[in-house]
Amino acid sequence: MIHTDLLFYALSTIAIVSGWRVFRTDSMVRASFLLMSSFIAVGLIMLLLAAPYIGIATVFMMAVEMMVMALFMVMFMMNPAGLNPMQMVHQHRLSIIAGIVAFAALALAILFSDLPQDPVAPGKPGVADLGFELLGNSMLIFETAGVTLLATMVGTVVLSSRSGRFGGADEGSRPPGLEPGGEPAGRKPEEKAGGDMHQCHGPGRQHSEKQQDGDEQ
Amino acid sequence: MSMLACVILLLLLIFGTLFAAILDTAIPAWIAGQSGANPLTTPFRRCAQFLAVQRLTTERPDMLNWLLAPAAYLILAGIGLGVVPLSEGLVFIDLQTGLVLWGACEALTVVVVFLHGWSANAPFPLIGAYRYVAIGLPAMLVSMFVVIGVALPAQSLSVSAAVEAQRGLWNIVKQPLGLPLFMLLGLSLTLRGPFDYADPFDLAAGTSAEDSGPLRASWRFARLAMLVSFSTMAATLFLGGHHGPGLPGPLWLALKAAGVMTILVALGHVIARTTPSRMLTLLWVLFLPLSFLDLIIAGVESLP
Repeated sequence: MIHTDLLFYALSTIAIVSGWRVFRTDSMVRASFLLMSSFIAVGLIMLLLAAPYIGIATVFMMAVEMMVMALFMVMFMMNPAGLNPMQMVHQHRLSIIAGIVAFAALALAILFSDLPQDPVAPGKPGVADLGFELLGNSMLIFETAGVTLLATMVGTVVLSSRSGRFGGADEGSRPPGLEPGGEPAGRKPEEKAGGDMHQCHGPGRQHSEKQQDGDEQ
Repeated sequence: MSMLACVILLLLLIFGTLFAAILDTAIPAWIAGQSGANPLTTPFRRCAQFLAVQRLTTERPDMLNWLLAPAAYLILAGIGLGVVPLSEGLVFIDLQTGLVLWGACEALTVVVVFLHGWSANAPFPLIGAYRYVAIGLPAMLVSMFVVIGVALPAQSLSVSAAVEAQRGLWNIVKQPLGLPLFMLLGLSLTLRGPFDYADPFDLAAGTSAEDSGPLRASWRFARLAMLVSFSTMAATLFLGGHHGPGLPGPLWLALKAAGVMTILVALGHVIARTTPSRMLTLLWVLFLPLSFLDLIIAGVESLP
């Protein structure tokens, strides 16, 4: 019993510390994989709670999910490759208030609710029961959620890809500075659209439209 | 019991890795029809060379992830091997959801290879890392359906049950598509041949381009250890695992794993490489539907 307790405390420490580091690090890739370590520790705690499927599936899902998330964040960001240092937190006041409220609410819920004492019998086929529950009674909910998530993912890619239906996604974008308030990194937005019709800003826009009209005539 | 399993696993890992290193020298020489290097001494000589080389580093690398990546790769290989039943009732990690744990090892391997390339903070390793993620994830997806196909007739997610379901007839006969598709994952998991988008020659060794000295030796060692782990898993899922007449279970398992490993190393040297984009199309358009077909075959087989 004592080493289960020790394991629980060690894993929860890992989960909390790496969860805290997610917000203190300066890189999206590091933040993703710190979040992954936090979730892996939680998955192993589930394993201690005699939920072998949910525990290991959490590890599995989080590994794939955080890898894909890191990749997509880097792809959709103007900060190439996620290598430049960046601030991972914003809207400080709102997030501090939200954090305190959420923590207080969860702590109160734990303190004032009747936690069930229901140890799993050793011979109980927990994994099989879970499977029947997921693909029996709850199948409609499960499948609806799955299809909705898939549609959301496809929609996100369609809306945010560079050649999206609402025009180029990087139009008018300005890369972040190498130093705070400094020169933008990489490609600089041009003041005048010199011949390139896709970069339309300010006076350059009229110029290029005129040119286009001229071409049509 | 658990102690015995631990000892057998360590022996399997050490001698398997040595065998893999020997195959890696012997098979290319045999395919090319040359007999220059002695395959028995070359791995040791190469290892000594790596260890004697000076450690170099890049500008501002993520040192923690760079050093941890080979260790994590080796640990994942060890955990994957630990799930495999060595003989009747002799399993190191006896988990109801062993197949899911193996899947988690596959997924975390992609993460580890990515971090290995990313942490060096240099162009070639970074390109290798991103290319590997693009190819490694769909390859893992294909293998997931194949593994579900193995779990279906066994009606369980435990690896022991999957071995038990093959008592009469091996899965390679019952699900002929399973092993070939699973081999693709093996190539991808061990960064080999046509699926080596992480450490290939065309990127000057990709994610390990900036590795030098002991770091490079440990990465190579971890790759070979993962080859042992994968071969043992393939033998367990498709070739009946420890079942076999006469010899004790662990020996049968080792023999079958050695066979799978030999084929895998040969495949890595025989199959042509292609561009990442074409491989991505192949994976999504050809291999993923094939894995669905494999799942249908497994489903029909397990109908009462």
